[in-house]
Amino acid sequence: MKFPDEMLMAYTDGELDLVARAEIEAAMAKDPAIARAIERHRALASRVQSAYRGVLDEPVPERLAKLASGTAATSVVDLAARRAAREEARTVIGGWRIPQWAALAASVAVGLFVGVLLMRGPSAPYEESATGLVARGELDQALTTRLASTSGESNVRIGISFRDRGGAFCRTFHMQREAPLAGLACRSGEEWQVRVLAAARAHQGELRPAAAMPMAVLQAVDAAIEGEPFDAATEAAARNAGWREPSDVAE
Amino acid sequence: MLPQLRRFARVITRNVQDADDLVQVAVEKALTRAEQWRPGSRLDSWMFGIMKNAWIDEIRARRRRERVYAPEEAGADVGDDSAESRDILLSVQSAMERLPDEQRIALALVLVAGYSYKDSAELLGIPIGTLTSRLARGRESLQAMLGSGEATR
Repeated sequence: MKFPDEMLMAYTDGELDLVARAEIEAAMAKDPAIARAIERHRALASRVQSAYRGVLDEPVPERLAKLASGTAATSVVDLAARRAAREEARTVIGGWRIPQWAALAASVAVGLFVGVLLMRGPSAPYEESATGLVARGELDQALTTRLASTSGESNVRIGISFRDRGGAFCRTFHMQREAPLAGLACRSGEEWQVRVLAAARAHQGELRPAAAMPMAVLQAVDAAIEGEPFDAATEAAARNAGWREPSDVAE
Repeated sequence: MLPQLRRFARVITRNVQDADDLVQVAVEKALTRAEQWRPGSRLDSWMFGIMKNAWIDEIRARRRRERVYAPEEAGADVGDDSAESRDILLSVQSAMERLPDEQRIALALVLVAGYSYKDSAELLGIPIGTLTSRLARGRESLQAMLGSGEATR
């Protein structure tokens, strides 16, 4: 049987359905020319992959890492200048345009986006679900069990706790990691939904977590909060009740 | 995900410096449009799409200015020790660099980034048939430039 080359490529790319795949495999067994063609496509694909694999292991240049962590706000001008200088040296006029960063810095959506950009990966302390981001792992545990007053080994510090306008329990948090993050999570059923994530400064020493909160988080709190943040006793009571309504808890 | 973005940029721009500039521009554009991205949808393909469009805009702008953009130091470090294998890898990169942009971008998505045909076609806004023919033409040219390719390393 003859197959168009595109079909053989699709086979090596894993793009054929079961039936077509079986047909090709049967043909491969009978016709060494087909087997060779597929081998050639496979070899080419793996050469192309290997040729660029090294990029993944290169350290990310600082200017990009900074940009993505949201700490580049003040350095945009410098970057533009540096690039202009470089482009000039090449006698090529750069066509890149740099958007105004400053106007965006406070946006909640940007905060969430930056957080996700930074935290992708198997160790991310959140998971994407149909309804958004849900806290997992150490973040989930800290939100469920820790009090703002708790200090200690955890990488997660809790800021303030409050109820939002819909009555849900919400807590701000700060995660100490290579790229520190802060955010706001609210209880929904048995999970914490992460409503905002933003790049944060590292918390140092006695700095109160609230002071280290990025604007995006503070604004989200302002927009969501009903009444005042919990005092220590209310926070502890809510934690002890498992973040359920008192009436839900059997005494 | 920055390493993945950089790799994709490296494939499509053919040049280390341009690649990182492109990643920067794409991240900045993404930040200005962050509200268009729905949490829960795939951030990486959204970013790849932004990068692809930014690169095409850039190429058009450069052509409009009628500047010839000389390809420079190809590839830089490929992260492999043996000189022999580096030669092979560089030759794959330089063969890739000679492909038309649309074929190289298709190969970057499917072979390098590992996207399905469907996702790649969607991201590029083209029918799957167009994508597969770009892939096929790209691979044919690569094969022709690189020889039989049967002896990989």
